[in-house]
Amino acid sequence: MTAILTMGRIFRGRWLATAGLCWLILVALAAIFAPLVAPYDPLEFDPLVRLSPPSQEHLFGTDHFGRDSFSRSLYGARMAIVIGFGSVVVALVAGGLAGMISAYFTRLGHVIMRIVDVLMAFPALLLALVLMTLLERSVVNTVIVIGIVYATTTARILFGMTLKLKGEVFVDAATCSGAGHASILFRHILPNLVSPLLVQASFIFAFAQLQAAALDFLGLGLPPEVPSWGNMLSESRIYVTRASWLLLFPGALIILSVFSMNLVGDALRDSIDPRFRNDIKGV
Amino acid sequence: MTRPNTDASDLLLDMRGLTLGVATPDGILPVVQDLSLSLSTGETLGIVGESGCGKSLTSLAIMGLLEGTPVRVLAGEIFFRGRDLLRLSPRERRAIMGNEMSMIFQEPMTSLNPVYRIGDQIIEAIREHRPMSRRAARDRALELLTMVRIPDPAGRIDSFPHQLSGGQRQRVMIAMALAGSPRLLIADEPTTALDVTVQAQILKLIVELQKDTGMGVMLISHDLGVIAETCDRIAVMYRGRVVETAGARELFQDMRHPYTRGLLDSIPEADEDVDRLSAIPGRVPTLDETITGCAFHPRCARAGAGCDSDQPALTAFAPTHFARCHYPLEPDA
Amino acid sequence: MTDAAPLLQVRDLKTHFTFRAPSTGVLPGPKRVLKAVDGVSFDLAEGEVLGIVGESGCGKSTVGRTLTKLEPATSGEALFRGRDILGLSAGAFRPLRREIQMIFQDPFASLNPRLTIEQTLAEPVRIHGLARTREEVRARISDTLVKVGLDPKVMTRYPHEFSGGQRQRIGIARVMIVEPRLVIADEAVSALDVSIQAQVLNLIKDLQRDSGISMLFISHDLGVVRHISDRVAVMYLGRIVETAPKAAIFEKPAHPYTRLLLASIPRIRPGRQPVVDLGEPASAASPPSGCAFHPRCPLATDICRSTRPDPVDLGNGRSSACHHAGQLLGEAA
Ligand SMILES: Nc1ncnc2c1ncn2[C@@H]1O[C@H](COP(=O)(O)OP(=O)(O)OP(=O)(O)O)[C@@H](O)[C@H]1O
Ligand SMILES: Nc1ncnc2c1ncn2[C@@H]1O[C@H](COP(=O)(O)OP(=O)(O)OP(=O)(O)O)[C@@H](O)[C@H]1O
Ligand code: SF4
Ligand code: SF4
Ligand SMILES: [Mg+2]
Ligand SMILES: [Mg+2]
Repeated sequence: MTAILTMGRIFRGRWLATAGLCWLILVALAAIFAPLVAPYDPLEFDPLVRLSPPSQEHLFGTDHFGRDSFSRSLYGARMAIVIGFGSVVVALVAGGLAGMISAYFTRLGHVIMRIVDVLMAFPALLLALVLMTLLERSVVNTVIVIGIVYATTTARILFGMTLKLKGEVFVDAATCSGAGHASILFRHILPNLVSPLLVQASFIFAFAQLQAAALDFLGLGLPPEVPSWGNMLSESRIYVTRASWLLLFPGALIILSVFSMNLVGDALRDSIDPRFRNDIKGV
Repeated sequence: MTRPNTDASDLLLDMRGLTLGVATPDGILPVVQDLSLSLSTGETLGIVGESGCGKSLTSLAIMGLLEGTPVRVLAGEIFFRGRDLLRLSPRERRAIMGNEMSMIFQEPMTSLNPVYRIGDQIIEAIREHRPMSRRAARDRALELLTMVRIPDPAGRIDSFPHQLSGGQRQRVMIAMALAGSPRLLIADEPTTALDVTVQAQILKLIVELQKDTGMGVMLISHDLGVIAETCDRIAVMYRGRVVETAGARELFQDMRHPYTRGLLDSIPEADEDVDRLSAIPGRVPTLDETITGCAFHPRCARAGAGCDSDQPALTAFAPTHFARCHYPLEPDA
Repeated sequence: MTDAAPLLQVRDLKTHFTFRAPSTGVLPGPKRVLKAVDGVSFDLAEGEVLGIVGESGCGKSTVGRTLTKLEPATSGEALFRGRDILGLSAGAFRPLRREIQMIFQDPFASLNPRLTIEQTLAEPVRIHGLARTREEVRARISDTLVKVGLDPKVMTRYPHEFSGGQRQRIGIARVMIVEPRLVIADEAVSALDVSIQAQVLNLIKDLQRDSGISMLFISHDLGVVRHISDRVAVMYLGRIVETAPKAAIFEKPAHPYTRLLLASIPRIRPGRQPVVDLGEPASAASPPSGCAFHPRCPLATDICRSTRPDPVDLGNGRSSACHHAGQLLGEAA
């Protein structure tokens, strides 16, 4: 109940962000009910209808194997969500821990943060490319790589925020009550980081989509047979002059979803604790 | 609209029924209600009251600085030398602000721009109100710094704010406020951020400057000691209303409002030992609580019939002594 | 006061902060040392309240924070029941944290906004193993809340739902719930409104008396300190310049700085000596030579500029670090 009230407060008067939220809900529903809604098997070849334009039977047309683009897009939403959530979890857990611990134990933190700095010196996509070439193409590896890329920025941001919180009087008060390090980090500091972490998560979710699409497009991300929006783009690029819809639909889906997630992230950011507003500037 | 009262020609400021409201998601809440106060040339009026009772908003309303805040003037008049400030055009108001009246704030560090030299900031303030050459303005700035007793003004004029102590920064703020030779100086908690020894110096300075220039001073503080020591007349505020106003001596000799009494008894003094302070029970009400009748009644030991339903009117006890209470205290024996 | 061995004996405590001065070019600036506390010694008997007063930045808070090991000491000893606590590791000190507690100034910052009152109060109880079952913890929290004048029902609420005075009561409950022997109160009532300050002061005084706690009461407000303390120590730039029973120090200060402080307090009732304008406080980053107070001291002589005075026992439990303390006392007699 309070969650609904809070949502109401965050999105009140922000129709663009609300529209973004609605789109994301739609994507989530598509992902969940893909098997029920999809008119065709996304992997099924149908040579008879290769590269047919959008029609009554094939809403988004078909690709060069005659697979139904609409069905593949629905299953692609599943992948988008898996990649998004997976990357968020990896980035927040790894980056969050690194950042918090670095800020709390300053000596060790010095070392960790220098490593983070080195990783951050690479452009995000380049770092992902380098890591991906070392690993096999799979869903799990893609998630891990994208997660690590965004763990660096998360670590930076949480480092700053933890440093700020560590100086708060309530932390001193907890120390005086006898609380140990673990209790101070996870019981006193972490709960105060929840809302900034949520905002951070929303941005990572959005950027992970772009990264995953880029990796797929370069043939380094998900295995080619997996129906993801990035793979759909990648496979159809040579048919662009003959079948522009093959680029149009997955491209639009990616852009809409990333844009929506960013709008939601902005709305969340504006609603959180003013102390941290300046710390979070996207990824 | 002309001001009805014209007898006292030295009447500088005359507020009548000033009512301010703040716009919140739950509607407009009154923050200052039916406030009537006046201040003559050469007089020091002290406004005292606990945090949130509306002291700062009153001063901002006089200065015309409520724009950009959710606070609005709902009713009332503020006459400054016979003219209702609330009816002036923004242009006319700006001409008065800074020239004829100016203000100093609580926090001297945040009111000064840290990246400019203090001399430049004072010169800027001078030239804003009176066009003159930079040279002449610099001379005037030096004069002002001397006036507020900054040691070695010629050496200090090119300092940056962080190179000065808190007390010196507040002196610079006062110098800037005096740039236009104001007739009215409003000081909102000018010493709250300062140490006692420095506070004593700043208060002394304000009193001396007031004597030298003959300006009217409105001093706002939550510290009854500061007010008692510097002011000719005192107004005690509680929850947006003046509950008692009187000459300084008059007030302490013949206190009528239970809140004034309570406030005085709450203060542990360095000159005497009391075993237990007689604290006012309860807590300061928040803005969104509606209290009918006398706003002090939930905390008042004297509250009786009518206190929780009827707003007491400001009653005169002497020509210059008013209090707002249904069951006022008897004069001390 | 008892004749038994003091509960806390602080000997020549020093807490220095090292920081880098701002760099002037490419190279980092030189390392600078700020002697926030520079040789503080005092005793605190069982059940005694020692007030510590002094201007902003003189090191009052740092003394308290060092004694609770929130800040590492640079040198010196603090014997709690005869055992030095400054040398203890964090782990070895943890059991003692139950006996040595701290009340913080800012009631808004000292409670974790994400924890309910119950969670906040349960933490020390669990850590120190003062109750086993959930029911026992709850019972203990209820008892303590009643003791500090709050309804036990408030347990389930979050800090933002309380006023400043109520939060400070919660802060006091967090301290009292472990039944400490020594409480360090750092500006415990400074952030509160006057009428609320009196309530909280009364509460602290009652609790202190009922449980016979020893207390270090740090404040810049001399009235508050006089009200609550048995003995008072005056600090100036990292050192204690005068210690005396409170009646003595307020009636007959034996240090020129104490005299200045007392003269600077704004009095509600008229009739005090005029303030002598004694210049700005010096900074701890560059303390003057000899007696740190000499640039502001009307009695300063050559010896004051060259030699730092050590605290001298003047009998009757008072001591003063001034070359001319005898002259002051003689003069006042
Ligand atoms: N910009 C604002 N927006 C909303 N409410 C405000 C604003 N400024 C002040 N208020 C509210 O109006 C009331 C009166 O505020 P004001 O600043 O005049 O108090 P004050 O008497 O000066 O208190 P203090 O001693 O704390 O400075 C307070 O309850 C405050 O919360
Ligand atoms: N962590 C720190 N690092 C560097 N300097 C510090 C630190 N803590 C305090 N100081 C400095 O030490 C000096 C003493 O500070 P402290 O907070 O003890 O003063 P105080 O007497 O409590 O003052 P106040 O009345 O303003 O609270 C000040 O000059 C302060 O700037
Ligand atoms: S009107 Fe009533 S409640 Fe208000 S102050 Fe007077 S006696 Fe108290
Ligand atoms: S030692 Fe000298 S300078 Fe210091 S306080 Fe005493 S008289 Fe003043
Ligand atoms: Mg104010
Ligand atoms: Mg302090």
